[in-house]
Amino acid sequence: MDQQQLKSYVDATLALQGFQFDQPITDEITLQFSRIHAIASTFIDIKLPVSLESAAVFRP
Amino acid sequence: MTLSALDIARQVREGSRTATSFLDEAIARIQELDKRYNSFTEHTFDRARTEAAAIDARRERGETLPPLAGVPFAVKNLYDIENVITTAGAKVNQGNPPASRDATLVTRLKEAGAVLVGALNMDEHAYGFTTENSHYGPARNPHDTSRTAGGSSGGSGAAVAGGLVPITLGSDTNGSIRVPASLCGIFGLKPTFGRLSRAGSFPFVGSLDHLGPFARHVADLAAAYDAMQGPDAADHACAQRPAEPVSAEVMNGLPAKARVAVLGGYFHDWANEPAREAVRLAAQALGATTVVELPGAEQARAAAFIITGAEGGSLHRQGLQNHYDDYEPASRDRLVAGTLIPATWVVQAQRVRQKFFEEAVRLFKDYDVLIAPATPVAATVIGAEWVTINGQKLPCRASMGLLTQPISCIGLPVCTAPIWPGIGDDPHLPLGVQLIAGPWREVDALAAACTLELAGIATAREV
Repeated sequence: MDQQQLKSYVDATLALQGFQFDQPITDEITLQFSRIHAIASTFIDIKLPVSLESAAVFRP
Repeated sequence: MTLSALDIARQVREGSRTATSFLDEAIARIQELDKRYNSFTEHTFDRARTEAAAIDARRERGETLPPLAGVPFAVKNLYDIENVITTAGAKVNQGNPPASRDATLVTRLKEAGAVLVGALNMDEHAYGFTTENSHYGPARNPHDTSRTAGGSSGGSGAAVAGGLVPITLGSDTNGSIRVPASLCGIFGLKPTFGRLSRAGSFPFVGSLDHLGPFARHVADLAAAYDAMQGPDAADHACAQRPAEPVSAEVMNGLPAKARVAVLGGYFHDWANEPAREAVRLAAQALGATTVVELPGAEQARAAAFIITGAEGGSLHRQGLQNHYDDYEPASRDRLVAGTLIPATWVVQAQRVRQKFFEEAVRLFKDYDVLIAPATPVAATVIGAEWVTINGQKLPCRASMGLLTQPISCIGLPVCTAPIWPGIGDDPHLPLGVQLIAGPWREVDALAAACTLELAGIATAREV
């Protein structure tokens, strides 16, 4: 994902989540999201066995 | 010299000192020294005087006193304290009603005779590793007040390291007990996920939050841990397993047959030279000559980061919508960014987490304790934005947990032990090691810490 795509994603999802910020704040959030994206990119495309549990710990 | 918690309890039990006299000393220390450390956000001295007097009255009546009788303690500002507002370090919570009762762990320490003297500074909502709190001011490291105390339980670390109280409680989602313990040069225990009840604490990331104690001595740490164990239906994640007291077993250290190894790979690469030296010293004392890899550590750290961003962001989304300006400037944009994480990343993160857990369980068939640095570097200067780790410039506030996050991601028990490498740019500062044990084997982590303490390798130095 390039910077323009990241910026478009952040703009769209901020609106989806009900946020309205001035541009400097949006720019900072975009920077933070780009760091999150860089960290996530280390695992999001790994192929995993279907048997791996996807739920968080839950004890009814 | 700072008395240990168990020395205080023994003297109160024997009648050579009263709980009230120990409390008076603790209050005097807090009032004099905490101007330097800024570790407390709230004092509960009136309540403490009542509790200490009750302990003294019980002794006068000839009752058998509990194990921590008269020991002053304090808790991170996210634990409920009856009649006190649980702010979790946040301005947005300052208007909340006071807690109607104590958190479970506060109640259990009180039942063990300990005397609560206040609430402690922290990163807002536990999101940070430096306790640079804009609302309460930064917690300062007692070994160098220009440095951070670590976070997010920085007040808990500073209060023990500064000798204000012998025991504090903190929380650890990604390293928030282990990082302050490392940077402040004290012992800290992050138990197995689900071991200690979180009821009555302000949550951050429900699937990663742990609570645990800090102390200057392993025996104190174990005593506090033992006093707090046991199931609690009020926390759905608290394991329904009986208490497994460890105090007696850990005090001789690890048995000679214990299998100890050093974690290499990721845990070596993301540590600077003093952190590696701390591991070398610990490994030497524990007889660990093997270096092993725990495959997937980088991905596990990343998974923890994503789960944290998503769960933490979700928890605070409405608050950020309505009160963005009142949130901590150092973390609010990261928190908002967390709300934007797609669900597929979070689900993949949970699966990566499970895969890493299975790798770790395999490793613990061959080893009892694994050693890794607790922090990549020693305490950074308050206000620092960047830290260089292994030649890479990284954001300071988000990166101090690089070495703790993979481990809490899978809930393993860890005791952080304070080492003094004495090399590098900051030879006056401590740097902890993580002593990591298999699930529910806190006893192994604490016994390893005790071995290091008995050998004089791990010590909480006086300030």
